Amino acid sequence: MSKLSFRARALDAAKPLPIYRNGDIPDLNDCVSINRAVPQMPTGMEKEEESEHHLQRAICAQQVFREKKECMVIPVPEAEGNINYYDRLYKGEFRQPKQLIHIQPFGLDYEQPDYDMDSEDETLLNRLNRKMELKPLQFEIMVDRLEKASANQLITLPEAKLLLNEDDYLLKSVYDYLVRKRKNCRGPSLIPQVKQEKRDGSTNNDAYVAFRRRTEKMQTRKNRKNDEASYEKMLKLRREFSRTVTILEMIKKREKSKRELLHLTLEVVEKRFQMSDFSGEVLSEVSVPLAEKTVHPAPICLPNGNRHKTENKVKSTPKHHPHNVTVKAEPHFDFIRPHKKSSRKPKLDTLRPPSRPERPHTVNTADIKQYDFHSSGEDENPQSPSSEPDEENDPDGAFVFRRRAGCSYLSPLTEQSDGSPPVLAGLDAMWQRNALTALSVPRRCVGVARRRLGRGGRVLLDRPSSELDRALRHLDPDTFCPSRSLAQLLSDIQACRWRYFQPRPLHQNQRDESGRNALHEDDRKGGGVTGTSSSRNTVLGGITEEQFQTHQQQLVQMQQQQLAQSQQQGLRPSSNLPERPHVHVSNTASLDTLSKTLDSASAQFAASAVVSTPNKDGKTHNTAVNGILPNSGKHNNKFSSSGSSSVRPSGASSKPLLAVPQSLPHGHGPLSSVSAVSPAHTHLNSARPCAPSPPALKLATVASSLDRVPKVTPASAIDSIGRDKNEPERLALNGIETTVAMEVT
Amino acid sequence: QNYVVSPRLMEIVEGCRLPVLRKNQENEDEWPLAEILSVKDTLGRKLFYVHYIDFNKRLDEWVTPDRLDMKKLQFPKKEAKTPTKNGLPGSRPSSPEREVVRETALNGTTRRVLPPSQPGRKRKTCGTDEDSQDSSDGIPTAPRMTGSLVSDRSHDDIITRMKNIDCIELGRHRLKPWYFSPYPQELTTLPILYLCEFCLKYLKSLKCLQRHLTKCNLRHPPGNEIYRKGTISFFEIDGRKNKTYSQNLCLLAKCFLDHKTLYYDTDPFLFYVMTEYDCKGFHIVGYFSKEKESTEDYNVACILTLPPYQRRGYGKLLIEFSYELSKVEGKTGTPEKPLSDLGLLSYRSYWSQTILEILMDLKSDNGERPQITINEISEITSVKKEDVISTLQYLNLINYYKGQYILTLSEDIVDGHERAMQKRHLRIDPKCLHFTPKDWSKRGKW
Repeated sequence: MSKLSFRARALDAAKPLPIYRNGDIPDLNDCVSINRAVPQMPTGMEKEEESEHHLQRAICAQQVFREKKECMVIPVPEAEGNINYYDRLYKGEFRQPKQLIHIQPFGLDYEQPDYDMDSEDETLLNRLNRKMELKPLQFEIMVDRLEKASANQLITLPEAKLLLNEDDYLLKSVYDYLVRKRKNCRGPSLIPQVKQEKRDGSTNNDAYVAFRRRTEKMQTRKNRKNDEASYEKMLKLRREFSRTVTILEMIKKREKSKRELLHLTLEVVEKRFQMSDFSGEVLSEVSVPLAEKTVHPAPICLPNGNRHKTENKVKSTPKHHPHNVTVKAEPHFDFIRPHKKSSRKPKLDTLRPPSRPERPHTVNTADIKQYDFHSSGEDENPQSPSSEPDEENDPDGAFVFRRRAGCSYLSPLTEQSDGSPPVLAGLDAMWQRNALTALSVPRRCVGVARRRLGRGGRVLLDRPSSELDRALRHLDPDTFCPSRSLAQLLSDIQACRWRYFQPRPLHQNQRDESGRNALHEDDRKGGGVTGTSSSRNTVLGGITEEQFQTHQQQLVQMQQQQLAQSQQQGLRPSSNLPERPHVHVSNTASLDTLSKTLDSASAQFAASAVVSTPNKDGKTHNTAVNGILPNSGKHNNKFSSSGSSSVRPSGASSKPLLAVPQSLPHGHGPLSSVSAVSPAHTHLNSARPCAPSPPALKLATVASSLDRVPKVTPASAIDSIGRDKNEPERLALNGIETTVAMEVT
Repeated sequence: QNYVVSPRLMEIVEGCRLPVLRKNQENEDEWPLAEILSVKDTLGRKLFYVHYIDFNKRLDEWVTPDRLDMKKLQFPKKEAKTPTKNGLPGSRPSSPEREVVRETALNGTTRRVLPPSQPGRKRKTCGTDEDSQDSSDGIPTAPRMTGSLVSDRSHDDIITRMKNIDCIELGRHRLKPWYFSPYPQELTTLPILYLCEFCLKYLKSLKCLQRHLTKCNLRHPPGNEIYRKGTISFFEIDGRKNKTYSQNLCLLAKCFLDHKTLYYDTDPFLFYVMTEYDCKGFHIVGYFSKEKESTEDYNVACILTLPPYQRRGYGKLLIEFSYELSKVEGKTGTPEKPLSDLGLLSYRSYWSQTILEILMDLKSDNGERPQITINEISEITSVKKEDVISTLQYLNLINYYKGQYILTLSEDIVDGHERAMQKRHLRIDPKCLHFTPKDWSKRGKW
């Protein structure tokens, strides 16, 4: 049994152990000695208990005898046996159910009193029962409730009376009895209970305190992972709750708005009643602007909502840009639910009277400011209108469409209320998309083209071929852009913009006829550019002095910015300048070419302008401006609308706007042209597609087809201009543009 | 009244040691050395609570002065051997070797069978104890919150070292508690504590029990029956959902489990109560508790066969059942430590029989010697690997031969196993088990 000279390999639990039995057991002696090499496993017992006499004896006995001997078992205190009264105690039998017993959770709690009557109580009960009937259970319930309501001291008798609705005598007897019984009772309560821990920790070592609460959940060691997961779950939960809160708040807001709408509607009805406006005339008069308004205001943006609260109708009216007037017939704006107005909408359509009274000319300062803000916003970001919001245009990179805070975006309107759109074909189709175009750097006219924005902001010209090409090529581009002084330019621009704010309603219907005539004359005569300035005063008529001032200042500022911008770009007086010429040209109406530059938008503009100018001195120069064409005449629209609006109110001169600049700058197309676009345009732009008012539309069509055509070389081309508006495809396109334009807001 | 306390008797205080008369299993007189843990004076008669050195605490008892061998009285030394109130580790009894030496010196008559001291063994057992001692650090702190057993001695003060309940009546049986149990203190003075056999509620008198039985209509443990074969059933009770029953069960169990702790609530445990059915209902035979989530592969926390049912195979049945549950869970398991003496014997016996059953059944295929890995045994039985190894060692089956470990089944091992298995009638039938383990980590805590 000497120490081994080698060290046995560690026992490998994964290694197969061959099993030897009986006879084939090898040299046992060897084995025994080697056995020491196997590490002894602990028994798992407390050390001092392990050595206990009886255990060791039992272990030895087992090892020796391989079975337990009766005398070798570990002795335990024995209790003597059978309880002979068991059957009397546990009465009845319990049938074993066939199925496994399945307990219903919480099905166990019968509300039974925890207190069990003892023999002492029984004597009391017997005594009491001589006078009244008191069942043991009743008594137990009483004691149970009293005990559970008491702490170290039994509750007072009055308290007991409150607690138990029992006969006074009975209660008193039981109460007195309990007081005595408690005095003799060694425990804190007559219902024996395991001692509970005290919060102060004084019971930490009390052997009789058991079942303490586990304050910490568990050791984190094993459950750390778990905790992380649940932490994340909690975070998620929190997020979802806060989202819920947001949603609820929005609902609250919505419901408030609804209520407000209701109140306002009521108010309107009352007012109408007071005014005896039973025919709805006044209402429709007042609500025209509301209809228009729906075209641009942002439905989505929450802040808007508040404004409506205090506004009365009059106030809100001015908010609508006059340009929209062209569009005002627009009946739908489904997706827009600008509060109360929306509900009234349908009414407006039906109620719109053939002739409309003048609208009040008050302008809400706040509204103007808001508006200005928009325009300045656009200046800062001139490209935005030209970039396509197409989702596939991601590669636009920096030019990609981005929503801006504070802007509202309207979705395109896809339906026109009236007028069936003429189907375009041939040249018409061409004119629909294209416009006469001149380049400013190689100074020449490139003929009919369509501009669009390419990747990286490049300006591309799509040039369809047409029979006109030859004639157009010989056009002198200078006719489009005579050079002008900066000051002049400025003032012109300003003039245009002011007009834009003209809050006048238009009275298309009234002027329909005259408009038509006017158009003829207009075209023929051509308006001088000067007209613009002259008309200014009238145009501004509706605006208060103060508003005018602030606005003017802002405009000047804007202009300066624009100029600075264009100069920086190394353009000559460039972008702004070229436009001028167009106007000029168109105004003079001297050239056929001019008419060619008309696209649908310009036609529309022209029409509206004409409409609003009964007297012919207004020169409607068709906004040929567009001639320079930007994509599908977006800008034109703006012009036209601004022009029209300005004209309308004055009712007198239609001063065409010239304003807008659009020549193709050298490669900077988007920038320059955009910069030229006033924010107002954008609005208009959006307005246009959705809204050509039927009369205006008609007018435009007529006008272009009748009047201009003759002058314009390609008569058909012009023709088309008027009509194209309704073309669905076009509309769709416009829709997109609209969105872009809306960004301004 | 006339009884005069001898002066010597007055001198006997806590901590004194002297031989005390007790009867052994053969009903012979013995005078094992005992330590006085407590002295009480009732009606002028002195009673001494004695702990027989090297006997299990469960044999501690109150004795009359006439059983004391006053001639050999030893007074406590300075470093008192009595457990101190705060249970400092210093109060632990010294190592077995020293104890033996001292005892033989003092009392040569003590019958004592001790294994030859094995070098290295002591060191290792110490090692296993270290964990448990760390937590106490000499200062009584709140015990760890996992598990159900105290392995540190922070509770080893004089109160818990002494039995406090004299007798418990449970159904047809009277039980003599072995250890302290924190039943309400006012009940500890009763000669008999009455328990409702089915809900285990404690009552101070038979009258109260009678009254209680009119209100308690339980006839089985208040849980789901997950196993039934013949008259044997197992009920599963959730310590969180059924606190009252769980606590009552724990109080009862504590009477027979020295190291069981009732310090914390029963929430993290499941209780599997084994019952035997007769026409009166399902009578509790024993139980084991189990942590819902064990960090240490424990598949049993506390396990107890009630004394009236002991030595009849129920303990092994409980153990077998606990491993059946582990098999369903697909885990190996081991009982929580420390084991009691009876626990160790029972488990060793179960492990031995289980492993030998497998080894004997192994058939050699194609004439080769049959072989098996420890891991395989562990997987088949759900017995944790360490327990397999310790059992193989204990049975002396594992040997190192010619450079490799082998298992040797000697004749007496085989014979002893076969005899034992013949006596083992009670077996768990896995087919009768209807148990789906729950993933407690995914539920709310416990």
